[in-house]
Amino acid sequence: MALRELNSLERFLGLKKANKYSTQGGKKVPVLQNNNGPALTGLVTIACHLVKEAKRPELLGDDAEQRAVVQQWLEHRITKLDNCSKEEVKVILKDLNRYLEDKVYLAGNVFTLADILMYYGIHHIIVELAIQEKECYLNVSRWFDHIQHYPGIRHHLPPVVVLRNRVYPSGHH
Amino acid sequence: MKLFIGEGNPHCLKVLAALELSGVRCETQLVKHEEKVVPYLTHPVLPILQLPSGQHLFSPNSICQYLFDISGQKATDATNQWLEWEATNLQPAVLQSLQLVALQGKRVEAAAVMKEPLSWLEQSLSKRKASFLTDEVVSVADVVLWAALYPLLSDSAFEPGDLQAVRGWFERVCSVSACQSAALRVLQGKGAEALKSFLQKQPVTHTPRRDSPSN
Repeated sequence: MALRELNSLERFLGLKKANKYSTQGGKKVPVLQNNNGPALTGLVTIACHLVKEAKRPELLGDDAEQRAVVQQWLEHRITKLDNCSKEEVKVILKDLNRYLEDKVYLAGNVFTLADILMYYGIHHIIVELAIQEKECYLNVSRWFDHIQHYPGIRHHLPPVVVLRNRVYPSGHH
Repeated sequence: MKLFIGEGNPHCLKVLAALELSGVRCETQLVKHEEKVVPYLTHPVLPILQLPSGQHLFSPNSICQYLFDISGQKATDATNQWLEWEATNLQPAVLQSLQLVALQGKRVEAAAVMKEPLSWLEQSLSKRKASFLTDEVVSVADVVLWAALYPLLSDSAFEPGDLQAVRGWFERVCSVSACQSAALRVLQGKGAEALKSFLQKQPVTHTPRRDSPSN
C-alpha cells in the first residue's frame, strides 16, 4: 500500500529516476534505498524527501507555520488514520469535517503534501461510506473530490463518486 | 502565540524543553485535561500551540519542530525519520509501559514492552560516532525522543537491560538545562507517579505495535 502511494507520488512529482524500495516489519513500513547516503525509513520521511528531491519545497509549506501544519496532518495520517478502529474513524471524519469547514486544503488555501497523503490514506474509508454517511461529512467529501480531481494525483486509486449537494433532507420542515 | 499545557501530561515535557531550548518567547497557560482548546477536535488534547495566525497545532512533535524551525533549525531527513519513528513506534510502547508502571506498579512487564524499541535505539546509537542522534548538538529529534523516554529511564527501579549507548545519550540530553527544568515542571520530582491522573484517562493499550525493524 505505502509503496504504491510512493510510486504515485513520484509520478506526480515527475521524478524520472526510479527509486528502490523495500519494506520493514509486520506493518510493512517503507524503506528507501539511497545510493548517496543511508536508507530512509517511514512513509512521511520518504515522501518529504521525494518532494525536496523534486525541488517542490512549496508542497511542504511556504513558511514555518504552514510547514508545521503540513507536518501535523502528515503525522495525523500515519498515527491516527492508519490502523484505526471503526469507532475512531467516525471521530477522525467528524473532526476533519469541522476543520475543513472554512478551508480549501489542509494547510488552508494552498495544496500541499498533506492533502496528497491524507487523500491516499483516507480513500479506502471514503469508498466504503454510504450516501447518508457522506452527507454527514460534506466538507470532507468536497475536499476529497477536489483532491481526486487535482491533476496527476489519483493514479493507483479508483475515482469515488462524491455528492456535492444533499440528497436527503437534513431536518423536518 | 500561546502554549496550552496540562498538569502531569507527558507530552508537555518535549514542548516545554523545546520552547526553552529554542529561546522562542511564548506565553504558557495551564488548562484542565478535559478543557477543549481546539474547537474542531471532539476529544480534548494537550499540549496545544496557538500560532500567530490563530491556527492550532495539536501534535506535540509538530509543535517542537515548529519551535526549532523558527529559531533557525530546519527539519532534515534525519530529524524527520526520528520524529516519525517516535510517533509510530516509540509512543505506543511508552504509553503502555507508563500505564503498567504508574497504574499497576508492574515494572518488569513495563520493561518488556520497551525492549524492542529500546534495542533498536541502542543499535542505532552504537553505530554512530556523534554525541547526539543526528549531530554533535542537540536537535529536535533528541528532545522528542528524550522526553518520551524520560519518565521511564529516569526511574531507577525501571530496568530495561544493558543499554550503554542509550544511557550515555540519555545522560547527555538530561544535562541540557532546558530539559532539566521541563522535567521538573512536568514530573515535579515524583517520576511516573505525577502522570497518574493523565494516564488513567487514556485508553488502556494491551498489545504494543510490534513493528520495530528486527535483525
